[in-house]
Amino acid sequence: MTMKHKELTLAAALAVALVATTVAVPGLVDARPAYAVPVHEGGEDASFASPGSEDWDAAPAATLHLASAESGLPNASSTSVEQVDLQAVTTDDRLYLKLSWADATRDTSTADVRQFADAVAVQFPVNESARPPIAMGGASNRVNVWFWRADGTDQELLAGGPGTTTPLDSTLGNASRYENGTWEVVLSRDRSAGGANRTEIPEAQDLDVAVAVWNGSNGERSGVKAASSWHYLALGGGPQGPPYELLLWAVAGAAIVVTTLVTVEGVRRTRGET
Amino acid sequence: MSSQSDGGGSDTPEDVDLAEGIDHQVAMVMDLNKCIGCQTCTIACKTNWTEGGGRDYMYWNNVETRPGSGYPKDWEEMGGGWTDDGSERQPGQLPDKEEYGRAWEFNHEEIFYEGSDEPLRPMDGAEWGPNWDEDQGAGEYPNSYYFYLPRICNHCTHPSCVEACPRSALYKREEDGIVLVDQDRCRGYRYCVEGCPYKKVYYNSVTKNSEKCIFCYPRIEGEGPEGEVRAPSCAEDCPPQLRLVGFLDDEDGPIYKLVKEHEVAVRLHPEYRTEPNVYYIPPFAPPQHSERGESLDSERIPRNYLEELFGPEVNEALNTIERERDKVERGEESEVMDLLTTENPAKQYRLEVFDEE
Ligand code: SF4
Ligand code: SF4
Repeated sequence: MTMKHKELTLAAALAVALVATTVAVPGLVDARPAYAVPVHEGGEDASFASPGSEDWDAAPAATLHLASAESGLPNASSTSVEQVDLQAVTTDDRLYLKLSWADATRDTSTADVRQFADAVAVQFPVNESARPPIAMGGASNRVNVWFWRADGTDQELLAGGPGTTTPLDSTLGNASRYENGTWEVVLSRDRSAGGANRTEIPEAQDLDVAVAVWNGSNGERSGVKAASSWHYLALGGGPQGPPYELLLWAVAGAAIVVTTLVTVEGVRRTRGET
Repeated sequence: MSSQSDGGGSDTPEDVDLAEGIDHQVAMVMDLNKCIGCQTCTIACKTNWTEGGGRDYMYWNNVETRPGSGYPKDWEEMGGGWTDDGSERQPGQLPDKEEYGRAWEFNHEEIFYEGSDEPLRPMDGAEWGPNWDEDQGAGEYPNSYYFYLPRICNHCTHPSCVEACPRSALYKREEDGIVLVDQDRCRGYRYCVEGCPYKKVYYNSVTKNSEKCIFCYPRIEGEGPEGEVRAPSCAEDCPPQLRLVGFLDDEDGPIYKLVKEHEVAVRLHPEYRTEPNVYYIPPFAPPQHSERGESLDSERIPRNYLEELFGPEVNEALNTIERERDKVERGEESEVMDLLTTENPAKQYRLEVFDEE
């Protein structure tokens, strides 16, 4: 009996250690991005139009990893921004997105031949039934782009592949601030599409989303951009944000514990200890 | 217009390569021996197309002194164009605004209205501008030399500006090969500015778009003064009338004859491989002089400098022109010299030959 007790204690300790590592591992190696971007429901009194509003603190952020987009343009692979934090808030009639990313240079001017401004863009499928090609959509599967540039302008664009963006009349709201080497940009729009070629923000269905960032002083513009892969706004009420990632690892951890216990028990039985 | 889109009509001369999908190609020949550097062409262009609205620094037509740095400064060192075999684009640079030269503020106010005794001059440090090195040239007295080089967009047959644009905002017009920037498609990315080895596309920071020479297309379409078909302003306003304008594929026109038949008009920097459609009659200069003022049997403008600018073809061109000049001196007929000295506008400007198509 003492022997068995010892073993069980050992197994339990082992299991706890395993669970602890498995839970800690994603933080250390970030093995898998979670493609879900949690959506926070904004209360009636809350305000999200400005990136500095404290109400944003209640909205969980998803970190989107960026890589140089593929394009035949000069210096296409030398983009400088590596990640962007995306927060999403819905109210009854509006979708607010807050994008935050580190950029050591604040480039707001396009007044000289050699000056390019920092910029960010969010891309949605026009029609949510199928996921468009990541590079600006495709001819039969177009995307809507919400584009903000650091000279304070915003644009709503329609695109069906690289080099095809066409401006729509912008119905966006935008606000931004730059502090401590970080851009924070809020883009918002009515949830209802209000016309053809505009993405309707659904009530209870996930919506694909991708992000791109340009660092102006690095000569980034057009297809020379740091872009994410497709993620989705978890509007469908699925698992939310970071817990989703943790949940996966916890399940994996539990599975490992069970496997360990079963193995220990198996070994014990083989030794004929029961 | 012709319905063909396979590069020229069936009557395109065999030795003329038109760009794919182009019916005809406008072209210009400039005789560098006649340019007096007066900049009338520059101002004619400016008053027509580039006054204000973010265009102050732009000279779609500029005239620079050679040898010299040109406009923008040292544009020949800024890359762009194609590799030697013409298959791949070369990376290019964006000029700095100082390399174009800023629009200076002058002390007009002080001098004209406030009684200042100061000389009229730019108020802030003017250190560079278009044709800043005017008449400097090269060589030592008594054998110094220079000439003027008027430059516009070459409306190239193989334009690297068009190829550089990720949005296909630049294009060659089907009817005459004029290269234009579609202002609705342009998003100001400036890959065309980088990509043109002649630096003949300009960024407008007010409209946030790129702009360039349009070969005065409204004039050649008959939208000019008095509703007549007119050659581009830079050509018509030139006091010594050194520009001939027409179509490269018009076998009876002056361009075809000078470029293809007699091969006396050559391209600027053919090694950029954009196949320009502006051609130059290379400059002659008096021979070198001795200290005592005697003519020597030695060329004043070094041949290798002209080869640097116009490629090896310049040698044959110069030889031919010399032969033709000698013919005229002997009282013989010379079609080349007739074409280069005509004062008949109908022979200088042939722009309506394909109108019936
Ligand atoms: S000169 Fe430059 S801008 Fe003009 S067509 Fe050629 S490459 Fe394009
Ligand atoms: S107007 Fe004629 S002569 Fe005067 S600078 Fe221009 S090309 Fe030369």
